[in-house]
Amino acid sequence: MADEVLVAKDIVKSFGRVRVLRDVSLTVRKGERYVLFGSNGAGKTTLVKILSTLIAPDSGELLLFGGHIEEREMDVRARIGFLSHSPFLNGDLSAWENLDFYAQLYSVEGRKARVKAMLKKVGLYHRAYDRVATFSSGMKQRLGLARAILHDPDLIFLDEPFSGLDIRAQDMLNGLIVQLSEEGKTFFSITHDPAKGFEVATRAAVLSGGKIAYESEADDIEAFSERYKGILEEERL
Amino acid sequence: MSAVKAIFLKELRVEVRNVQAISSYLLLTVLILATFRFAFAATDPPMDQIAAPILWITIFFCGMFSLTPTYKREVENETLDGLLLAPISRSSIFFGKLLATLVVIFGMEFFAIFLFFGFFPVEVPDLLALFALVAIGTFGFVALSNLISAISANTSLGAIILFVLMIPILLFSVVMSAVGGTARIFAGDGIGEVVDELRLLTAFAVIFFATGYLLIEYVLGD
Repeated sequence: MADEVLVAKDIVKSFGRVRVLRDVSLTVRKGERYVLFGSNGAGKTTLVKILSTLIAPDSGELLLFGGHIEEREMDVRARIGFLSHSPFLNGDLSAWENLDFYAQLYSVEGRKARVKAMLKKVGLYHRAYDRVATFSSGMKQRLGLARAILHDPDLIFLDEPFSGLDIRAQDMLNGLIVQLSEEGKTFFSITHDPAKGFEVATRAAVLSGGKIAYESEADDIEAFSERYKGILEEERL
Repeated sequence: MSAVKAIFLKELRVEVRNVQAISSYLLLTVLILATFRFAFAATDPPMDQIAAPILWITIFFCGMFSLTPTYKREVENETLDGLLLAPISRSSIFFGKLLATLVVIFGMEFFAIFLFFGFFPVEVPDLLALFALVAIGTFGFVALSNLISAISANTSLGAIILFVLMIPILLFSVVMSAVGGTARIFAGDGIGEVVDELRLLTAFAVIFFATGYLLIEYVLGD
């Protein structure tokens, strides 16, 4: 129980008459790199938004760091990082200004030193004072990762983090994820690409038809891929 | 408090760097005032009768065009979720954006009023009364527009909704009271004579501000 960072029980979410999630239950433990696969429209993004507290489920129970979000909303949010295919960066501001802005929102101690360290970590310190609008997609994504981990969160959500990145940027992002995981961070990632997702996963699951259709340890990519293909095939029928 | 300050400064930075938008507001101000000046040149009506509506039409339209992007920009840049995920209250976002918008609008109004007196040489015995009316009227205007901007940001018809919702409310509240008060100031009245208009504008400002503060949690929710 003590190492359960995220517990979701019977999460249900509908948009209008469309039921996107049906009784989704899953548990993520400390230090895990949990990767959720699913086809487009499977409900992955909706699920990650619910788990990260961005939107509320219609029903079901969500426990983060052992408690309900309503009980200590700000404390929970301060321990969550989120990186999506959109890095949440303002193009009119420089890399430094963007990180400094988020550092203020998260009341990061030793703000300037932390911003500098994060920019160095993602290899963008030499572009610190350039406007983000002039950055490539890969650079924006790296800066987005710096933003997501700036406040030293315990749980980091990744929503299709590799989309739009070239191979080099993907490898760099993967390397950073593994490095942070070794430092004790927990990751919950969603993707539709098994090859990319499996490179970092320690546990994997498939979301299909709004439910967790399959879940296993990420130790056998071939067996998982076969099962994943089978589920996608069933979806098509 | 630090979140409000951070959002306020961020908004100001973005506004200041948006040179194209600033020059558009300034150009629009010049165009509106110049159009009225030339439109009334032939008939030459008494200045104290037309000056107040012209001043407020200028403030109103320039304000409307400059207010739209506040929340829309967050949606377009996909940065709104970044704000909503942060451990800050939704009201911090509301206050930060409101203060930044107020500073931008006050700056714009300063330019508009300065230019207005160039085009329309009206005698104002009580400048303090005029500034009080403009300041309180602007606060109500910005408080309402800030809320409607948040409501309309997630819709594809955002700008249209902003205008459609705001114009009738503002015309019957802020604009009518402000024009009435300003006309009396241009006619020679002092701050003591426009207390009723100032009270009415203050009441509208408080109502719009309180409504925004109370609703922002739901407006920015899912």
